[in-house]
Amino acid sequence: MLSDFGVIFLFIITAIAFIAVALTIARLVRPHRPNVEKLTTYESGEDPLGNANVQFNGRFYVIALIFVLFEVELVFLFPWATVFGQASLIAQTDGLWGWFALAEMAIFVGILALGLVYAWAKGYLDWVRPQPKLPAVKSSVPADLYGKVNKKYAQKTKSV
Amino acid sequence: MLSIILLSIFGIVVLFLGFQKSKNILLPATLLCIAIAFAANFVHWNDAPGLYFKEMLFENRLTMSFSAIVLLSAFLVVALTRGFADDEAAQPAEYYAIILFSLVGAIMMIGFDNLIMLFLGVEILSVSMYVLTGSDKRNLRSNEAALKYFLMGAFATGIMLFGIALLYGATGSFNLTDIRGYVGTNSFSISTLLYVGLLLVLIGMLFKVSAAPFHFWTPDVYDGAPTVFTAFMSTIVKTAGFAAIYRLLSGSFEGIYNFWWFTLAAITILTLVVGNITAVYQQSFKRMMAYSSISHAGYLLLSLTAMTAQTPDAIVFYSLAYSLATVSAFGVLMAVAREKSVQSHENAEDFEAFNGLGKRNPLLAFVLTVSMLSLAGIPLTAGFWGKFFIFGTIVERGNLIWMLIVAILMSAVGIYYYFKVIIATYMKDGETGALRVPPFYRIVLIVSTTLTLLFGLIPKLLS
Repeated sequence: MLSDFGVIFLFIITAIAFIAVALTIARLVRPHRPNVEKLTTYESGEDPLGNANVQFNGRFYVIALIFVLFEVELVFLFPWATVFGQASLIAQTDGLWGWFALAEMAIFVGILALGLVYAWAKGYLDWVRPQPKLPAVKSSVPADLYGKVNKKYAQKTKSV
Repeated sequence: MLSIILLSIFGIVVLFLGFQKSKNILLPATLLCIAIAFAANFVHWNDAPGLYFKEMLFENRLTMSFSAIVLLSAFLVVALTRGFADDEAAQPAEYYAIILFSLVGAIMMIGFDNLIMLFLGVEILSVSMYVLTGSDKRNLRSNEAALKYFLMGAFATGIMLFGIALLYGATGSFNLTDIRGYVGTNSFSISTLLYVGLLLVLIGMLFKVSAAPFHFWTPDVYDGAPTVFTAFMSTIVKTAGFAAIYRLLSGSFEGIYNFWWFTLAAITILTLVVGNITAVYQQSFKRMMAYSSISHAGYLLLSLTAMTAQTPDAIVFYSLAYSLATVSAFGVLMAVAREKSVQSHENAEDFEAFNGLGKRNPLLAFVLTVSMLSLAGIPLTAGFWGKFFIFGTIVERGNLIWMLIVAILMSAVGIYYYFKVIIATYMKDGETGALRVPPFYRIVLIVSTTLTLLFGLIPKLLS
């Protein structure tokens, strides 16, 4: 007699076997005509550029961490929603159940929101923009001189 | 259970207190929070035992005592943190908040009634400890310790989770009472999954309390972490871990004692021998304390292996004695090492740091001596009665006298390295000039030493 773990193990074996069989049959049946275009890495239609091992900006990780936090919150919201809307529970408690469940979720979301507020107030969400350095030339000629010259010659050409 | 809710709220409050310009309010606020949680811990003292949060958590006088020990040692350790807000890059509010959150995890581990709660508690406590270990951000050794602790801890947690899954597979429940029922009713046809699952859960838990084959992370992590968090780790994590193992074994698996006692006995002997023998060879006081904490895990395991009616009381008393002595030992180390690290950065935590302490500051020397005597188990200190009660449980079990002999031999070895510290304090000449101790330190050290001596003189005080 198989235990429940045995059933799961069978599932895993079946999944691996299914993929292996499907890929092997596909290999036997399909035509084999590779070219450069077909062999490039698929990147949503873009041409892949450069090495994948580049250093990412550290700020991505902070944003990603906060994102994961709220992603997990969402995962909890789904099972909560089914329990929240259960008609039998609401009927048993004269609608009090709904308020109870809503308050519990509000506390949960509220605590997570406090965390977001903390990160925000600490400035972890600020995306510091790179300040482009404009080339500056040190010159003894005052900048407005060029303007004056331009103006003067523009008038001259007009009059001619 | 009130203390869990309170500590969670306090953690958030302390986190937001950090936005204030003055950081001085944080320490008293955190101490106040822990004191309130300590008081709230005893609210249900008279109507215990009880189940809370839909049978997720359990509370009786034993779990309350364990929580009280955890909160008391947390209070003493936090009181020693004075001065770590001085560093400009430090984030004291976050450290205090993490400490408060980690206490929530510890209390959950102590009073779980559902294996999910055990896992959650272990994770809350461990993740906090990973962060606190690496809190000295600029220190390479602190970073290394945090990474080591995290990687090894994550593996151990994974193993434990796997064990919990197998236990669920065997019994169909996460609930301790249901598992006990399964073990009781099917005593002749227990699924093999249950045995494997129990062993895997035990491995995960023994890793957290640093028992011998799973102790490799301990010296490096204790050595690399900031001293105050080493004190936190070696008291709170250990107490909560042993409370959790006791609760697991006594709550569900007493029926199959014949299966697990030998495994636990082998691990106990290995822990005692490895911890004590290796501690002898250490040059750094912090590493010595790390190995000594491994050996104390061995003594506590001894009592778990016996598993008699006296075991819970013995573990409670031993944890309390050990926590008090450890806090004062690390407190003295911090007071001495801080002075020393200003002058030269190297070997600030070696035994030589204590040279001549007896003349420089008699109070510190006395505190250190009492704490070392208590750890070694010399009479008139709490540590003696702790060992006495632990050995008492073994004698009561009857057929495990050979373990008792090993334990006594090993505690004789322990006396050697604890006395090395005392000899350095009184007999060796070191720097001269009085050592100034901040008043906060002095209060904590006096309190923990007084309690150690008090419980050493009147062990019946705690009952």
